Formats: sequence, C-alpha cells, structure tokens
Amino acid sequence: MVLEKEVFKEFEVAVGVGNVNDGEVITDVYAYNWCNEMFNFMEEKEPIPYSPRPKAVILPSTTEEVQKIVKLCNKYGIQFKAQSTGLGPWNSVSTDNSIIVDLRRMNRIVKIDKKNLYAVVEPYVSGAQLQVEIMKHGLNCHMPGAGPQVSPLASATSMNGPGFTSPSTGHSSRNVLGVEWVLPDGEIMKLGSWGLKNYPDWFIGDGPGPSLRGIMRGWAGAKSGIGIFTRVAVKLFPYPCSTDFKISGHSPNYDFKKPDFMRLYVIDCKNLKRLDEIIIEIEKEEISFMCSYLSGLAVMAIFANSIGQLMNLMPVGSLKSPLIIIIAARTKREYEYKQKVMDLIMQRYKLKDIIGKQYTPNSVFYGEALRSNLGLHGFIATGGFQSSCGVADSAKICLNTSQLNIPLKKIYIKKEALANDFGEGGWMSSYESGHYFHFESPTMFDQKNKHSVKGMAEYMVRSNQLHLLKHLGAPFFVEGDRMHDIFGPHMCNHNIWLRKIKTTFDPNNIADGGFYITPKKD
Amino acid sequence: MNKANKYSPENCKWVPQLQIKSQKYATICPAIDEYNFHPYSGGGKIIIALSYQMGRIKPSDELRDIVYKCTECGGCDVSCKFLNNLEPLEIIRELRERLVKDGCGPMPAQQKYIESVKKVNNPYNEPHEKRMDWLPNDVQTDPNSKILFYVGCTASYRRKEMAIATARVMNAAGIKFRLLEDETCCGSPVLRTGVKDVFLEAMNKNLDAIEALDVDTVVFTCAGCYDTFKVDYHLNRNYNFKVIHAVELFDELIRSGELKLTKEVPLTVTYHDPCHLGRNAERYEEWDGDEVQILPLVSINIPPKPKRCGAKGVYDPPRNILKSIPGLKFIEMERIMEYSYCCGAGAGVKSAFPEFALNTALTRLEEAEDTGADTLISACPFCSTNLQDGIKEKSSKLNFYDISELILMALGIDIGKIKEEAGEVA
Ligand SMILES: Cc1cc2nc3c(=O)[nH]c(=O)nc-3n(C[C@H](O)[C@H](O)[C@H](O)COP(=O)(O)OP(=O)(O)OC[C@H]3O[C@@H](n4cnc5c(N)ncnc54)[C@H](O)[C@@H]3O)c2cc1C
Repeated sequence: MVLEKEVFKEFEVAVGVGNVNDGEVITDVYAYNWCNEMFNFMEEKEPIPYSPRPKAVILPSTTEEVQKIVKLCNKYGIQFKAQSTGLGPWNSVSTDNSIIVDLRRMNRIVKIDKKNLYAVVEPYVSGAQLQVEIMKHGLNCHMPGAGPQVSPLASATSMNGPGFTSPSTGHSSRNVLGVEWVLPDGEIMKLGSWGLKNYPDWFIGDGPGPSLRGIMRGWAGAKSGIGIFTRVAVKLFPYPCSTDFKISGHSPNYDFKKPDFMRLYVIDCKNLKRLDEIIIEIEKEEISFMCSYLSGLAVMAIFANSIGQLMNLMPVGSLKSPLIIIIAARTKREYEYKQKVMDLIMQRYKLKDIIGKQYTPNSVFYGEALRSNLGLHGFIATGGFQSSCGVADSAKICLNTSQLNIPLKKIYIKKEALANDFGEGGWMSSYESGHYFHFESPTMFDQKNKHSVKGMAEYMVRSNQLHLLKHLGAPFFVEGDRMHDIFGPHMCNHNIWLRKIKTTFDPNNIADGGFYITPKKD
Repeated sequence: MNKANKYSPENCKWVPQLQIKSQKYATICPAIDEYNFHPYSGGGKIIIALSYQMGRIKPSDELRDIVYKCTECGGCDVSCKFLNNLEPLEIIRELRERLVKDGCGPMPAQQKYIESVKKVNNPYNEPHEKRMDWLPNDVQTDPNSKILFYVGCTASYRRKEMAIATARVMNAAGIKFRLLEDETCCGSPVLRTGVKDVFLEAMNKNLDAIEALDVDTVVFTCAGCYDTFKVDYHLNRNYNFKVIHAVELFDELIRSGELKLTKEVPLTVTYHDPCHLGRNAERYEEWDGDEVQILPLVSINIPPKPKRCGAKGVYDPPRNILKSIPGLKFIEMERIMEYSYCCGAGAGVKSAFPEFALNTALTRLEEAEDTGADTLISACPFCSTNLQDGIKEKSSKLNFYDISELILMALGIDIGKIKEEAGEVA
C-alpha cells in the first residue's frame, strides 16, 4: 500500500526530494529482517523473514525534519517506526499502515565532553565510530553485545543494553544522560539537564522534576513505540589500556598488537555454585574489563571465525563452568595490582587459567574484545541465532534460569530443531561491580529450515512460560500486546500501566507499537 | 541464486570493524553512501535477490536501477566475510545475470557500449584499426618475445599515457615484449553488467589469439583486464600462460636491480588500491570438497573451503615501488588494501550513472587530500579517469599519476613528453 500522491508530496517537502521512497523494491527490502520468520510463526503467520511492507521509507536529516514527519503522520493517521542501525526485527513495521523513518542521515557526533565524560550522538553513529573518535581522548564507550556496528543511541534509548564489556562500561539503560525526543504527537521533549531552561547541557539524564527515564525506555526499551529519539548523551569511560590499536595482515587473519597491559583468563569453575561465588568475588574487586560466564560452545565461538576453526577448539569447549575474564590497565602498577588480585582469588578457589597452557587465542581476539565484536561470532555455527530466556537479576537467579532452561532446550535439540549446545548456551555478565547480572541463552537455529524455525519459536514461547512457572523474573522478550498481557497479571499488572503511558504519550496511536504495546485493551 | 536464501545480511555497510580509524571514513559501500536507502547496500542487494527469487518483487525500472547502482567493488564482500559465510559479490553478479535473462538489464547506456564491443571490439565505439595508435615510434617491441603486453581498451584509446609509460619502463629495463595485433576488449565491462554470453565470446577470442602465440607471460597495465583474465577467465576456461600486472613486474625488476630508480622524485604521494588489482584480483582457489553435516544443523566443509576475502590482492608491489623511489614520501590513506574505498567507476556505473561515479571519486579524493599528500597514484585506467574527473570537478590541488609514470620520473625520463605523445596520438 503506497502513499497517496499528495501525502507523498508533503513528506517530500518535509525531507527533500530523493529522501522519500514508496517503491516496491525499497519497501520490500525494509520488510526483511533477521528472525522475522520466527516472530511470524509465533503469530501463526507464514514463517518467512518479512514483516508487512512499510508504506514508504523516509530519510530525515534533522530533528526538525523528524518532527515534521511525525506531525504529518498525525495529520494523515499513518503510523511510523524508527530505525537507527536496523539490525534486528524489532525495527520492522507491524501493520501495512506504517512508514519506516530510517535515521541513517542523522549521523553526527554532536559533542564529546572529555572532562565530564559524555558524548552526544545522533541515531546513525555506530559504536565503533564513536569509539574511534573518543579513543583519541583516551576514552571508551559501552557497546551492546550486538556489536560495534550498532547505534549507541538505539541501545541507550530504545532497546536492551547488555554488552561484553559491561563490567567496565555498564548497561545502556544506565548510561543514558540528556535526551532529545520527538514525542508521537510531534512535540519535542528534552530529558535531564538538556531540558533546563537556563544553561541546558547534557550531563544528567534525570529531571528536571520527576525522572522520565523509566517511561522512556524501562527495562527493554519501547522499540519506537513511544516516539523518536534524535540525540542522546551517553556516558564515557576511561579506555582500559593503551589506545594504540594496531591491526596488520589481511582479512580474516588479521594480527593485532596486544596492548602491554592486557590479559585474558579462561578458568573452569567446575560447577555453577562455585561460579556464582567466584564471579561475585572478582566483580567486587572492580578489576575486570570483561567478565562473562559462557557455555562451552559459546567459548569456542568467540575464539573462532569460522565453523571449521570452531570445531578445532574442543579443549576450551569441554570446560564445565567457564569464566572468561579480561583485565586491562594503563600502567604497569595497575596491571600488577589487578593480576595480584586475580592470583589471590585463583589461589583461594584453586583455579587454573588455561590461557597460554591448554590454549592460546589468536591476537585478533584481543582487538575484537576491545572493539566489542565478539557477539557477532554467534552466527558462525548455523548462520542464525536468537536468545531465548533472559533475565537481569542476582547471579543466583541468572544461573538458576540457565539450569532450569537446559532440559527444555534439550527437547528441541533432540528434535533436531536447535543446534546441540548440550542445552547450555548461556551468556551471563556482571554490572556495577556485581550488584546485578544479566543472563540470556543464545540459541543456534537455521533460519532457512522450517522445522528449525518452528522449533525455535516453540522453544522461545516455552522458555517464557518457564519464567512464570519457576518465578524467574521478566524475560527479555516480553514485547507486543500478547506477551505483555500474558506477563502483566503476574507482574504488578504492568501491562495496564504501560498502556496508560502509551495512550497518554501517543493519543492518536501513531507510533507503531508492534514490539511495544498498543492502546487496544484495558 | 540459492546463496541468497542464507543468513542475515542486514549489517554490511561498514569497513571491517577492526579497521575503522575515524568516523569520517568508516564506510565501505559507495552505493549506500550515495543513495542512503538500505537496498543499495550489499546486504540490501542480497535481500533483493531473495525477494526476487521468492517472486515478491517483479522486474521493473526501479529494480534495475537499484541493482545496477553498484560498482561491484567487493567492499561488502570483504566486510562480511571476516566472520560470515556469505558471498555478497557473487549474489550481486548472479542477480544481474538473472535480470539480463529476464529482460530487465543492463542499463541502456551499458547496452550501448556492449553493442560497441560486439561491433568494434571496444566499448568506446572507436575504430578497431586505431587500437595500436598509442604506440610511439621509438618504443621497441619484439614479435618473438615470450612476454605479451595486453594493453586493453581504456589504455589504448583513453589513457594512452599509461600504455606508453608501461611500454617505456619495460624498454628501460630491457624487457622485450610483444603486442597482440588483434587485441579485443577483455569483456570486463560486459561481464560486470551480467551479459555473460558476450563476455564469453570476448574471452574466447582473446584466449584463442594469445594461445596461438608462443608466449608464457601476459603483462597488463589495466587492472580491470588483469582481474578479468586472472579471475574470470580462469573460472571459465583454463589457459596456459601466466598473468601479471605491470606493478608486479616492475617491483621484481627493481628488486633484482634490473630497473634502477636513481632520480629524486620530491613528491608526497598516497596510493589508491584499484578494486580490480586489490581485493577482487584474488583467484578462487579450487575446492573439491563436501559440505558435511557433523551435527544436526551444523555443517562443515571437508577439506576446509578457502575463503576469498581479498587477502591475496596485489598490495605490496605498488607499495614496494613507491618506497623505492628516491626523494618520495609515501603516506597511506585510512581505507587501503582489501578494505580500500572504490574510485566509483566500475561495473558500468561510470557510463550509466556518471554523477554517482563522480561523487564517489570526490569522497575518495577527500580522503587522499586528508593525508596531506600532494599527489595521488594508482594503477588502473578506470580509476585514473574517474579520479582525474574528480580532481577537475573539485579543483583539487592533487596531482594524479599512474604508477608507471612515476617510475619514469625516477628513471629521469621526461613525463611531460609522454603526456604530449598521449595527446598527439589521441
Ligand atoms: C546478533 C545480535 C546480537 C544482539 N546482541 C545484543 C546484545 O548483546 N545486547 C543488546 O542489548 N542487544 C542485542 N541485540 C539487539 C539489538 O540489535 C541491539 O539492542 C542494538 O543496540 C540496537 O541496534 P539495532 O541496530 O538493532 O537498532 P535498530 O534496529 O535501529 O533499533 C532497535 C529498536 O529500537 C528502535 N529504535 C531505533 N532507533 C530509534 C530511535 N532513534 N527512536 C526510537 N526508536 C528507535 C527500533 O524501532 C527498534 O525497535 C542483538 C541483535 C543481534 C542481531
């Protein structure tokens, strides 16, 4: 369903000729996304990797243009869906009455405040782009596990936020400071100190008055269901080691000059009970740049860049409860201190580090860890993966979730719908010195294989049910009306509150609420 | 096109992540840089292939326009293959072939030059009999040599200075070479548009003609012809001679002392890697293995299948040459070698979408200027033409030379004379 001629013209006036397109090819490509086949299956639709086709795709270049688009959407009763770097299905439209607002022309790093440790970015600035610019000032930023190619703005404002470097760079939901937000009615809202009448600046995310941060993104983000974010300030952190980032050789066998004060430990905690104690012990000491529990297969994946290589990594894959820790330092003294702390913990728990003995990774591993590229290795085995259950809670709850999920996953492994990771396939990382953790279960399936897609979809639904049955807390993918209405009654009727927020902020229901919530029920 | 139905191609708009050095130069795909909508990227084109295969989209002007707005530079291919098993470039090529079969390609401007290749053996519609006109009287050739200099259409008709300089460097080094009397277009500009049958005709004509001679080596000054012979001919027909680009020959000659560069060349230069000489000049390695399922849903290739990631392009020889020129300062751009940014001319773009080609050249020139160099060097007549068009458009202060011209300067040969000769014979 294309736009009517006059409507098209008005959008074109708003963003300039060439920046609106409702052609069949353009709109069909924007309908494709990774995992759409699975979400379609869950909705009892054909399991193809396409959402409904958007009515058009529009490319604004400024906040004012975004505002004009949103006002026109209100005028004509057309819904919109924003996308920044566009990696996952959550940026797909949910009805054929939606347009996609692709923000790729908004790609400026607006400000780097190296004294107050924040940067202001537009939607299409990627994590790697921001990182290379702030590295020039000895700084680092948080990137979600999705990788360095995704938008820090999308992660900070609209979707999830765990990453491999979280022990040192936090969680996106906690890193967001001042925000510029085009509300679904076209008004501009400025959050935090950016909204101050006098001397507006970006350094704080809460207030003036009550903080709206929770309303803006809550735990997992509104996924464009509550407006479009056009600029955001994110926290910066000291770069963990020397910023001399030297890559040589050729793809895919790059060599990386490992910084002097950087060390990887891979230790087997033998069982999850000990892992729980050890990870908290390490995180309490605030020494790690990265500290994750990964299943054996996931450990193999982060060290490999092809399935062939992965299969040669059995020694690391056979660890029972592995912890992957990277420490990094800017001075020798800091480095020695961190190693000493690790030594003491390892002595206390009688742990052995396999690095340099049973296994030595290629140097490029360290480059990928610093650039937050490790998450992309999840595609190696089958070409497709998605995380099933997922919680943010204490290490105990996270590990409990992991254990309880294993028998369920094994059912689908046995049915040959999922790749065999012995049911484990987990990733757990720590936040804020071990005050909380996040766990998810990346699961490998084959997007081209209907049986596998069906199995993965069923497994995801049953994983969510398990959360309710075993009181495991809110999983990641409670999104869309159906899921909110299932979980709401068990979780303080959050669905009712969320709908109230939606209808208050979006009285005309113009922001496509497909992966958020719609006002349709009470 | 079965390759299209694989994996998730959404995030391929970047240079290999580990190679990003600044925000300004953190992209690899000229097409999405120019047109912004996702379908223009490598990932977008894979989705188009899938949609087309599934019958979701039909042949149309819109489809043709998007599919042909791509220089086939292979940047997406290299970015993607660092971790993935996709073949974006192959999919783009197959998609074009499919559109041609379905009567939806190539672009009208490309069709025109294809007709010209069929008629007069070159895409410029120049008389075939004038192909050798670039050859100055005092350049020595040897009809009995085992080395053939394949000049190519662009160096023969449009960038004669490259043909002349290459020939003169060979003369200076005492390398005897012969020319192919009935040289015809290598077929590269035809193949890149998806018109396979005309390409195969051109290939067979050339290979038949060369194999009828007693040569063991063919030298190229044109990166496009070199890539076509080395990679595309090789995929379609075996032949019995070695192919090398002039930079490989000259690098060898310098290292063996047969070519002595003694004259100071006080320039600060940067080097543009042509896609045809760099990442795309990597041959497909023969692989006769099997895809074996080792676990449900998990398959591996036995023996491991070589990945064509652009690592085996010709990167060191031009750099070695530049480093051996006395008095010359060489600075690299940010995007180089297998993750180099395209000049914008390739795969029929210059003829069908000149504005896109020029804008891409302007982007690359800005990157060259940002190094602080006063001179831009390359080794491909297409890059040379497009980048020089950009220099004019931009009124850039950069000088542009083909690398063989720079060698002549270092040999103390007056390059102004060559430019004159190139003009005279034009
Ligand atoms: C392989 C893979 C691994 C992943 N791993 C992680 C992970 O470890 N941690 C994690 O947090 N996430 C992960 N994700 C999910 C997701 O990609 C990330 O959350 C990412 O930060 C968002 O970037 P994106 O490119 O997906 O953004 P987009 O697709 O552009 O956006 C994501 C969501 O936010 C909305 N949105 C985007 N920009 C705006 C805006 N300006 N205003 C309003 N709404 C907007 C979109 O509509 C969409 O719903 C992963 C995804 C994949 C494919």
